[in-house]
Amino acid sequence: MTAVMLAALVGVLFTTGVWLILARGQIKLVLGLGLLSHGVNLALFGTSRLTRGAPAVIPHEGDLATILATQTFADPLPQALILTAIVISFGVTAFIVVLVSRRDAVTGSDLAPGELASLLNTADPFAAPMVTDALPAGVIMPDAVDDYDLLQYEIDEVYDRPQDAAEAKIQ
Amino acid sequence: MIEIYLRLADRALTPVIVVVAIILFLRGHDYPGGGFIAGLTVAAAIELQILAQGATPVRERFGRYLLPLVGLGLFTAISAALLGMYQGGFFKGIWLKFSILGAEIKVGTPQLFDLGVMLVVIGMTVTYLLRLTEASEQRSNDVFDGEQQMEEVDA
Amino acid sequence: MNPYTALLPLPVAVPLLFAAIAIMVGVSRRPRAIQIQKILSGSALVINLVIGLLILSYTLTGERIVFQMGLWPAPYGITVFADALTGIMLTVVGLLTLLLLPYAIASLDKSRARLGYYPMALLLLMGANGAFITGDLFNLYVFYEVLLMSSFVLLALGGTPSQINGAIRYVVLNLMGSIMLLLAAGITYGTVGTLNMAQISERMGMAPYALQALIAGLLFVAFAGKAAAFPLFFWLPSSYHTPHPVVTALFSGVLTKVGMYSLFRTFPLFFPDLLVAWQPFIMTIAALTMFVGVLGAFAQPTIRRLLSFHIISQIGYMLMGLGVALTPGPFGVGFGLAMAILFLVHNQLVKTALLVGGGQIELEMGTGKLSELGGLVTSRPLLAVVFFLAAFSLAGFPPTSGFVGKLGLLQVTFSTGQYAVAAVSVVVSLLTTMSMIRLWQYIFWGKPNPQLKPRPRLAYTSTRALMLTPAIVLVALSLAIGIFAEPALTVTGTAASQAIDRAGYIEAVNPEPAPTPAPAVVQEVTP
Repeated sequence: MTAVMLAALVGVLFTTGVWLILARGQIKLVLGLGLLSHGVNLALFGTSRLTRGAPAVIPHEGDLATILATQTFADPLPQALILTAIVISFGVTAFIVVLVSRRDAVTGSDLAPGELASLLNTADPFAAPMVTDALPAGVIMPDAVDDYDLLQYEIDEVYDRPQDAAEAKIQ
Repeated sequence: MIEIYLRLADRALTPVIVVVAIILFLRGHDYPGGGFIAGLTVAAAIELQILAQGATPVRERFGRYLLPLVGLGLFTAISAALLGMYQGGFFKGIWLKFSILGAEIKVGTPQLFDLGVMLVVIGMTVTYLLRLTEASEQRSNDVFDGEQQMEEVDA
Repeated sequence: MNPYTALLPLPVAVPLLFAAIAIMVGVSRRPRAIQIQKILSGSALVINLVIGLLILSYTLTGERIVFQMGLWPAPYGITVFADALTGIMLTVVGLLTLLLLPYAIASLDKSRARLGYYPMALLLLMGANGAFITGDLFNLYVFYEVLLMSSFVLLALGGTPSQINGAIRYVVLNLMGSIMLLLAAGITYGTVGTLNMAQISERMGMAPYALQALIAGLLFVAFAGKAAAFPLFFWLPSSYHTPHPVVTALFSGVLTKVGMYSLFRTFPLFFPDLLVAWQPFIMTIAALTMFVGVLGAFAQPTIRRLLSFHIISQIGYMLMGLGVALTPGPFGVGFGLAMAILFLVHNQLVKTALLVGGGQIELEMGTGKLSELGGLVTSRPLLAVVFFLAAFSLAGFPPTSGFVGKLGLLQVTFSTGQYAVAAVSVVVSLLTTMSMIRLWQYIFWGKPNPQLKPRPRLAYTSTRALMLTPAIVLVALSLAIGIFAEPALTVTGTAASQAIDRAGYIEAVNPEPAPTPAPAVVQEVTP
């Protein structure tokens, strides 16, 4: 019975997780990823024996052979694996939260660039090519070629060799 | 907005949390506890300070030590593993036992490794918490400015 | 004790040690700190390459190196393992990272260097090396995560909007892959009661077919997702063109190839029967990957976007090699796998050379748009020649390594009777040639664009020379493999025969038989 309940719970976590990831919005994405990793951790937990009242820690005192023969123990290995997986998913989630908050700060919207455009396009398939001025204020439209904003740093950077700066000015 | 009660609680609680973290760290080898958990506990103490005093004073106090702490932690952990080579293998545990006041104390490379883990966890977690707090403070300031501007327009 | 055993953990320990010191040093705002980081990085990479070469030279004699972490016996401790396949990968990845160091020194801006490019590149190398040497399924997952975490940071380094968007897509899709891998590890432990690869290999055959298929499927999805195979490649073209070119070159040489290596390592070891039974499936995926990748490349307007679609297309050839891995041929039992390994190495060299060259143009000209570039053959003749050779090696012209790899793969595919896939691969080769000619023509031929002027900072002869070195060395190596094909094939043949020799692997690791667990007494607690 416990096993069936555990399996159902894992299923529910996976379903909700996938649904949240596919939904629009970045906070849902973070929550969905969290639920997915919880689901996997529970599935890992299921691989140790689901016995009640059986700790995964063997006491320090006493004869090991008699303890092993007389008492039941949950398998400690999956729990160690879960601990590692939790640590890792903690780190990854922290990173994603920082990325999402950074994107929010940079673009001023919860939507990914492209999402908004597709939203507007699907609303009216026969619409004329989109005019950027018509967008609500504060929303930055993604440029079609957004690849080269990174190369801008070269121009902005103060040259470390003064000759370079002089040459650049002459040109 | 700095909460006065939280500030008082912070004064009283921070030393307690740090002591708890040290206890958790020391019992870690044989019982529940250890470097990761102790590191998170210390980070919780610092988060309490962030909540009580705001991100800026905490950043001024700890900010410049955080990344070297991560480096130091990684260095400690990997040197604990490399020390094991002295006894025949990478990651081989070396233990020293001695007794002080009748209590037997074990010190070994696994604890050194744990210490490294703790330092890395403190460094990374506090960096992350500080950055998020600063981002949200920035945002609430923006909203505040926006509201002020709206009021000016209305007037 | 065998001195090579003590050497085995070092590919993980050395980069981590130097990265730790570099992180400690790098916080200082003085420019000196970056200099020290460069020196630390250089020495770590040289030591790493030397270790890789030593391990390769030892394993090529047919020996295997096994080390137990902390000297715990086999199924309880973590096994670290090296055979010739590991040696080849350690050497090639070590060489690539070392060659990219002068490129990074010449082209990286100060802000990115200060944000920690050098320590992060070392951590990436550590993760890749760990994934190569580990002999434990869960440990493989952990090293994948180390690899991914450092790649996330490298990808987002600089924090421009396009980079952040690319990084979010990349992180989410790779995290899904990691979740699959973790799930596979959990189910494996629940099924066969061990995570040691040797013991999994021993016991997997006894598991019920449904569970075997489930584990194999999950592992395939996880690794093929990391390698950017057909339905799971979307993260690659949407993120690889966003970071600094040196990061793209590093990723193309290391990241997807680690996924491929894991497929080569785990499938012949765990599921030799499924590898034969699933051959049509793997071949279909391979054909679709090649074809979709190369068609995608035709639609791309910029250098690095185009090249990142070619990364996907080339992954298809390696998957084709996996499909025919266990087919015998003139160089041993695993001739198919030998050809696949050769192709993997060839692709690592050539693809990195192309991305390094293309990245140099993007950095110098400030744009990679094919419509704006042109006529660079007069101003940069050496780069034009190197790029030409690399492009034709990718397309598979003699006397380059691409020719040897593609010819061998075709030969094996024909001998197994997969004519349709062989035909697809020939067509894709043709399309790759067209795409490469188009790329070269757009960049180097035609009239120079008078509005594009090279950046003065990168136009120094010394800087140009530093940036050109990796491409020249890599193309020279590709030509060397193509000309001295027989020694290269002998090397990969040894690697393949070791990789598919399950009995030898199990004997080398020699795990203790696990004690039978006491029967579980389920205590129903009544409330």
